[in-house]
Amino acid sequence: DETYTWRVQSHWPSASSSYGDSLETLKEKLYERTDGRLELELHEAGSLFGHDEIFSAVSRGTIDMGTISPAYEMDRLSTAGVAFGLPNGFQETWEAAYFFKHKGFEDMIREEAADYGVAYFTEKVYPTEMVLSEEVESLSDFEGLNIRSSGILQTFLTEAGAAASEIPGEELYQALQTGVVDGAHWGAVQGAMSMSLYEVAPYHVRPPLNIGGIDAYIISQDSLDELPDDIRKTVEDTIEEQFWRRTNEYIYQEQAALARSKEEYGVEVIELPEDVQDAMLEAAETLWDDQAGESERAAEAVEMMRELLADLGHIDEE
Amino acid sequence: MNALRKVLRGVTHANEWLGRAVLAWLVLAMFVLLFMEVNMRYLFGSPTVWTGELTQMLFGAYAILAGAYIMTQRAHVNVDIFYARFPRRVRAAVDVLTSALFFAFVLVLVTEGYSMAEDSISRWETSRSAWNPPVWPVKLAIPVGAGLLLLQGIVKLIHDILILFNLEGSEPLFPEQAGEDQL
Amino acid sequence: MSVEMITLLFFGSLLFFLFLGVPLAFVLGGVSVVFLYFDWGPDAFYMVASNMWSTMNSFTLIAIPLFIFMAMLLERSGVARDLYHMMHLWWSGVRGGLAIGTVGICAIFAAMCGISGAAVTSMGTIALPNMLERKYDKEMALGAINAGGGWGILIPPSIIMILYALITGVSVGELFAAGIVPGLLLMVLVSLYIGIRCYFQPHLGPALPAEDRGSLKDKFIALRSVILPIFIVVIVLGSILAGVATATEAAAIGVFGALVSSIVYRRFSWEMLRESCVRTLRLTGMIMWILFAAHAFSTAYNSMGAQPMILEFMMSIPGGEWGALAAILIIIFLMAMVLDPLGIMLITLPVFLPIVTGFGFDPVWFGILFIIMMEIGYMTPPFGFNLFYLKGVAPPGVTMGDIYRSVIPYTAVEMFGLFLVILFPGIALWLPNLLMG
Ligand code: NA
Ligand code: NA
Repeated sequence: DETYTWRVQSHWPSASSSYGDSLETLKEKLYERTDGRLELELHEAGSLFGHDEIFSAVSRGTIDMGTISPAYEMDRLSTAGVAFGLPNGFQETWEAAYFFKHKGFEDMIREEAADYGVAYFTEKVYPTEMVLSEEVESLSDFEGLNIRSSGILQTFLTEAGAAASEIPGEELYQALQTGVVDGAHWGAVQGAMSMSLYEVAPYHVRPPLNIGGIDAYIISQDSLDELPDDIRKTVEDTIEEQFWRRTNEYIYQEQAALARSKEEYGVEVIELPEDVQDAMLEAAETLWDDQAGESERAAEAVEMMRELLADLGHIDEE
Repeated sequence: MNALRKVLRGVTHANEWLGRAVLAWLVLAMFVLLFMEVNMRYLFGSPTVWTGELTQMLFGAYAILAGAYIMTQRAHVNVDIFYARFPRRVRAAVDVLTSALFFAFVLVLVTEGYSMAEDSISRWETSRSAWNPPVWPVKLAIPVGAGLLLLQGIVKLIHDILILFNLEGSEPLFPEQAGEDQL
Repeated sequence: MSVEMITLLFFGSLLFFLFLGVPLAFVLGGVSVVFLYFDWGPDAFYMVASNMWSTMNSFTLIAIPLFIFMAMLLERSGVARDLYHMMHLWWSGVRGGLAIGTVGICAIFAAMCGISGAAVTSMGTIALPNMLERKYDKEMALGAINAGGGWGILIPPSIIMILYALITGVSVGELFAAGIVPGLLLMVLVSLYIGIRCYFQPHLGPALPAEDRGSLKDKFIALRSVILPIFIVVIVLGSILAGVATATEAAAIGVFGALVSSIVYRRFSWEMLRESCVRTLRLTGMIMWILFAAHAFSTAYNSMGAQPMILEFMMSIPGGEWGALAAILIIIFLMAMVLDPLGIMLITLPVFLPIVTGFGFDPVWFGILFIIMMEIGYMTPPFGFNLFYLKGVAPPGVTMGDIYRSVIPYTAVEMFGLFLVILFPGIALWLPNLLMG
């Protein structure tokens, strides 16, 4: 039988838990289930392409597959902001999973990616959470914070009153340590740990800033079409299975990591004061409207999310 | 022939002018932007959403567009331990042969950079940060910068061929020495 | 073609073309393109442009033009000249004093700057002409700058350490702390070498003739010249430590300090500003084009299967833990000739780290060895980025041959330092253990 080797560029560094638990696991499963006919050749973050170039490279067929965050592709995919997770939306991870899989949101972003010759698969859903180097007692405290952020959440935090700036990852640790910034988000618990952020910012804020399909697999449609039907189906089924497995496993890993960092770094989980949360909610509403304005499809997606949130009793029926 | 020489010298002068009169000043702009950002954040507690990104964009264009200017100054550093001892015509011959490497690299940058920029322009790509500026001008700087370098490389190639056949005119097409920028 | 064969051809052709006098940037870029074509096909060419785009978007590299600009302003305004004049007056009795002073300034610069290209270029601009003017031996001066200019990645803040932490998962804080004592150790060793060598061979770093040494009054008047440089160091380092600015932004504060100094010196003029800008463009562009090409080269090499090859090679190394460590350090040394630091880490760390921790070595300690070795690789002949950067700023009379020769004794000294850190891991680990338990 013919064998296929795919070049895969990840946006995860090899030390991150997802590189091993998601990508390496997928590689092993595919190899085993196709009797070695499909092999993934993995490249960790930055090896062949920078994170914001992975989609282009897959779309051009330079590489066969990649992992990305939809946040990198908000310019091409109008529903990417919704996929990444709108702030103050879902309160539990399963709600986001329901939105993607049962309500059919995932098909919407998949259709958009298909225009670029890219097959898009949500890898898992999970939250983005913020860490702070000092506690916040009031809205005026919050408004005095400098927070390292990026993309849609930077707009959100700025809108909510904090001073959000985009400090690059390489400078984040020291910026928090010396007080250039007072807070940051880098994934959630495991992300913060991978950057040693708890050493310098021991306050972990919950509830999360957002919950969404923050990571995704992307595959060149041509590479997928080249596969015999059975292998192709194995790829699709295995990724679908992985979505549920990883979403669940990730909740466990986050919680375990939090327990460990409480022990090791004295991390404290804090909630922001009521008035800050109100300000954030107001900012979030504006942002939802902005995202709905991206395209007809995005408007439809935001409407679908509102309906679901209303069903769940998180927002009032309009 | 004289018209051609004029054009080639024109390329060299244009690249020198671009570097000295335009690009050189960008470092001042980068300084002002970053310095201002520090003050905005520290003194006024209100960082801007655009200074860091604008500085980054200027820096990218600055670095890539500098390539051609630096070539006119013969300032792309090399190992001269043997090269410096070659007679002048041997040097020219070696440069003609090894220019294949230069052209391979720079041509790829021009064509692939163009393809990247074209894609970006076709959808008026923006960065999607909180500031959300257009990205395509900086992507366009890649094929433009590499294109200018390519032109300068062609001038140098012709210059070397003329040396090889003892056909140089009185005025060189390309500076002979690594210049201290003739400052 | 096997990856071993490709490696041989890859590095062989680099060697060949570099010695034919082709600029480093074009050798790295051209060879990458040719090999990508044969190994992967023209599809892979997009990677070259894409990598260039990623390098253009690296925020921390903005420190390069800014620190170089600062150095140019200090040089053109006479601040640097007066500083060296003062050092010469005060150290007039000590042979080699200026070179030792330079090494000290290098260490301070390293504490202000997280990358090393800016330091070599800046120190080459400020210190080299001053030492040559005062009859210091060319090689003594060049070597001191080459060695000291590379410490930016060992003494925190350090971008390389943060990337190492990100790839390996060790603590950034521990790494930062672990770099300080080895950095000081290297500074002391290099200073000792200069002092001892110049003591016995005074022509290498002459003291001032007795009649020029000046009175005590002259010396104190000359001390005025340190006020502005100290002011700059205080605002740059101070802004980092006080949380006013990130390490990259602090470079802009350095430029501010240099501009203020030139105005205080009454040397500021538009002409001098223009000249400084032009030279900054020239040096930054040279460095950036090397980095663009080096990034393409690392990526090409990585895509051809460098990582599995190194893994296989490491499996065959005899001699247990020390054999493996020696092999690792040699591989880093060889790669540091032409690969960028991130490229080296991406290719080798996933292979080396499991081996190192498997033998029970401390990953923080190993990180320090890794960084010192990389730094040595960047300053040793035949190729290393620092050598090229230094040539880029050196006056026309300095050839690559001079730079090559200058580095040899300093490399031996740094190797000795590395050896001490291997022998006594406490040199690296004492401080992090003290601070972080
Ligand atoms: Na440093
Ligand atoms: Na070397």
